[in-house]
Amino acid sequence: MSNASASERETFIGPDGPWWKLDVAELWRYRDLVWLLVRRDITAVYKQTVLGPLWHVVQPLLTSFMFALIFGRAAGFAPKEIPGMLFYLSGLVPWFFFANVVNKTSKTFTANAALMGKVYFPRLAVPLSVAISNLASFGIQFFAFLVLLIGYHVFDPAFTWSPSPALLLLPVLVVIMGLLGLGAGILISALTTKYRDLSFLVGFGVQLLMYASPVIFPLSRLQNFPMLLTLFNVNPMTSVIESMRAVFFGQPIPWGGLGYTCVFTLCILMLGTAVFNKVERSFADIV
Amino acid sequence: MEGIAIRVTDVHKRYRLGVFGGTTLAEDIKAWWAKVNGRPDPRVPIGKEHVAQRSGEFFLALRGLSFDVHQGEIVGVIGRNGAGKSTLLKLMSRITSPTSGTIRIKGRTSSLLEVGTGFNPELTGRENIFLNGAILGMRKHEIEAKLEEIIAFSGIEHHIDSPVKRYSSGMRVRLGFAVAAHLEPEVLIIDEVLAVGDAEFQRKCLGKMKDVASSGRTILFVSHNMTSVRSLCNRVIWLQDGKVAMDGPSEEVVTAYLRTYASLNDTVEWTAEAAPERARAFAECFSGT
Repeated sequence: MSNASASERETFIGPDGPWWKLDVAELWRYRDLVWLLVRRDITAVYKQTVLGPLWHVVQPLLTSFMFALIFGRAAGFAPKEIPGMLFYLSGLVPWFFFANVVNKTSKTFTANAALMGKVYFPRLAVPLSVAISNLASFGIQFFAFLVLLIGYHVFDPAFTWSPSPALLLLPVLVVIMGLLGLGAGILISALTTKYRDLSFLVGFGVQLLMYASPVIFPLSRLQNFPMLLTLFNVNPMTSVIESMRAVFFGQPIPWGGLGYTCVFTLCILMLGTAVFNKVERSFADIV
Repeated sequence: MEGIAIRVTDVHKRYRLGVFGGTTLAEDIKAWWAKVNGRPDPRVPIGKEHVAQRSGEFFLALRGLSFDVHQGEIVGVIGRNGAGKSTLLKLMSRITSPTSGTIRIKGRTSSLLEVGTGFNPELTGRENIFLNGAILGMRKHEIEAKLEEIIAFSGIEHHIDSPVKRYSSGMRVRLGFAVAAHLEPEVLIIDEVLAVGDAEFQRKCLGKMKDVASSGRTILFVSHNMTSVRSLCNRVIWLQDGKVAMDGPSEEVVTAYLRTYASLNDTVEWTAEAAPERARAFAECFSGT
């Protein structure tokens, strides 16, 4: 930022703003802040811990192991041709990414009330940084999944894996998940400033939503339950998780579902930003 | 806006009195439904329907505040508790927005309503300099260029790589002010930050602020400390009940302010004619005339 353009800048503070506004230029000016918040999230959490960043992998690995034992072996929900660990990890890693982004961004205002009550910066920097730092932990977990995938390929004679061109869809899936979680998170964060009830709901609400997604069993098992199938398809994460598995285990990609999820994501992002804008202007008086 | 750095035009800020925001979703939906159907708000107590509509349940922290600040001016804002000083600062810092009226600020603005905002206790002093600087709107390379200077100014070189949670409160304040003092905004808004640190550090801060001011930047300084207002500002705005009570050269305004609110322990002398009404009434009360 050169001094000339800085001194020409004029701040206008008035009672009413537009109902929808996304000041990308301002966010860009504060990109160092976003980056520092990301680093703070990643490093501060693991100071004074023994395992450090390994904690990122422990949760999905242990959960996958339990799911593989109970839902896979005992209940027989997982498809036979994919090892249980791989099946559940491929569903849980994206699910945890989405769930963490929603959970953590939804605390934007309540967790940073002291900071936001004292200094101005584009408030969206906080949820954005949360989404990015969760992207980092998703990366670590995803790497663990890849290691396991190759491990099974090499050591398990019953399972062979060959990469398909559909893998190119992966980055798109990651972006969709991140934006979906961000949109839902900022919408909830804006609403929780007024209705504290929601903060209780979010934690287990997201957990319950997992049972309406194909994390535990593939959507194909619901063919005889049209009601449930519809319910699952309403959940925008369903198509993402199905696609995630399709990409790795060579099944058809649910394009229709992905289209629905994209539209849903755009809508919730628009709505989330609108409500967020409205709240950030007055939240200091409410919280 | 030629030569004017800050223009405040007819600003009102209204707060609702009593409990609010603690409502549940169900109550708000009921209230909204009632509004749609043209019935009275069910949340309003019986017999108070008219009061709520007449804004009797509201408190006006600022009522029609207007003033201009020229570029390079150092303006002190004084007033009793509740006069609207903090509300004004919050509006100018864009923490909350006015109910009506506008504020225009030219140039890059930084506001210090508290030092050390956003310090993360787990991170080291050095890491926090970057975080705090970024929160205040500095770019990373700007902070890097001034890092040594900031650390030297804070005077806590030996502790700069320890986590901030191990700092004493004085050390945190020093570090916080050191970062803030090295911001280079065109407009600086400061609230009472000098009420921290020991005497030596306070002198250092005041000196630094004078440096900043002499380099042609605009400063808006809110304080209860009349000594620092006098020594730092060339113009003072006195707020009372959300409006400008007096605006002029520091000496005049501060003297008038002190005269009005002088406590009983202070000795204030007037001639019989010049005595303000209150003092006269007070004297009459005791003389029994």
